[in-house]
Amino acid sequence: MAAPNSAERKACWDARDQLWQCLDENNDRLESCQKFQADFEARCPAQWVKYFTKRRDFLKYKEKMQTEGFTPAGGPRENS
Amino acid sequence: MVRVSLLNWPISSRRSVPVSGPGGTRSSVYQLDARLKLRTRLGVTLLFGGGLLGVWWYVDSEKQQRLRQQRVEQLRKVALGQGTFSLLDHTGRRRTKEDFLGSWVLMYFGFTHCPDICPDELDKLSAVVSALDRDPSLPAVQPLFITVDPERDDVAALARYVKDFHPRLIGLTGTPEEVTHAGRDYRVYASPGPKDEDGDYIVDHTILIYLVSPDGLFLDYYNRMKKQEQIVESIRNHIQNYVRL
Repeated sequence: MAAPNSAERKACWDARDQLWQCLDENNDRLESCQKFQADFEARCPAQWVKYFTKRRDFLKYKEKMQTEGFTPAGGPRENS
Repeated sequence: MVRVSLLNWPISSRRSVPVSGPGGTRSSVYQLDARLKLRTRLGVTLLFGGGLLGVWWYVDSEKQQRLRQQRVEQLRKVALGQGTFSLLDHTGRRRTKEDFLGSWVLMYFGFTHCPDICPDELDKLSAVVSALDRDPSLPAVQPLFITVDPERDDVAALARYVKDFHPRLIGLTGTPEEVTHAGRDYRVYASPGPKDEDGDYIVDHTILIYLVSPDGLFLDYYNRMKKQEQIVESIRNHIQNYVRL
């Protein structure tokens, strides 16, 4: 299978950006962005879909770390 | 007395004032003689001192130069890129490292099925080379793209891929052994991920841009955080301050 050429890459990235924007605006509810999700999957190779989905999780996690900082996993805590 | 004043030393003219009367002339002649001697002594001292200083300065600069040379030689011995490579370019021609000796090289390792990082970095690399091309005082920098995915990136795949970037970009591939060998020389890491139903996979790999000097040794690297302008500035500095042994 040949690698996507520059036009195909751009089409995939644009579809990804539109989906991500929709998810940002809809609080990450995929149901509201079905159309963009389908478009994204149609324009990007399956591996890239997986890669970009993981990448978005990572970027969101990174952003959370940078804005809110790291909070150790909660659990029952006793005051000493 | 005219000669004395010509010498224009305030301290001596003051001294010569009380010496007057019968013995005055002899005394001032004697003093003049002494002053001349002083001048000679001063001149000789300056000459010798200056000479010594000059010799010291020369020896010191020689020593600094030797230390610099030694440092460069030491750095050369530990530099990455001591090895060689032999790969096929995107037109099917065999290229070895020797072909690129004598020119500045910007090197990037990646694969054509790469989702976003490789195309981004190759765009940046192409823009850097174009910016350097616009400076007529600098030699042409040669961009290279070496695949870490020889299984899929054959000569034809590379030919399709490199035409999206800088016109001088050369794509290089080979057998898995040749490709691994080329990367190992620059401590490149590459590891293919699991294959999906279509046999497609993503290769996790080092995403640095390497600057290689005309003697084929690694000189600097640029990560994703480095902006185009920073890379251009850094390369310009390296080229201008380059010490050829």
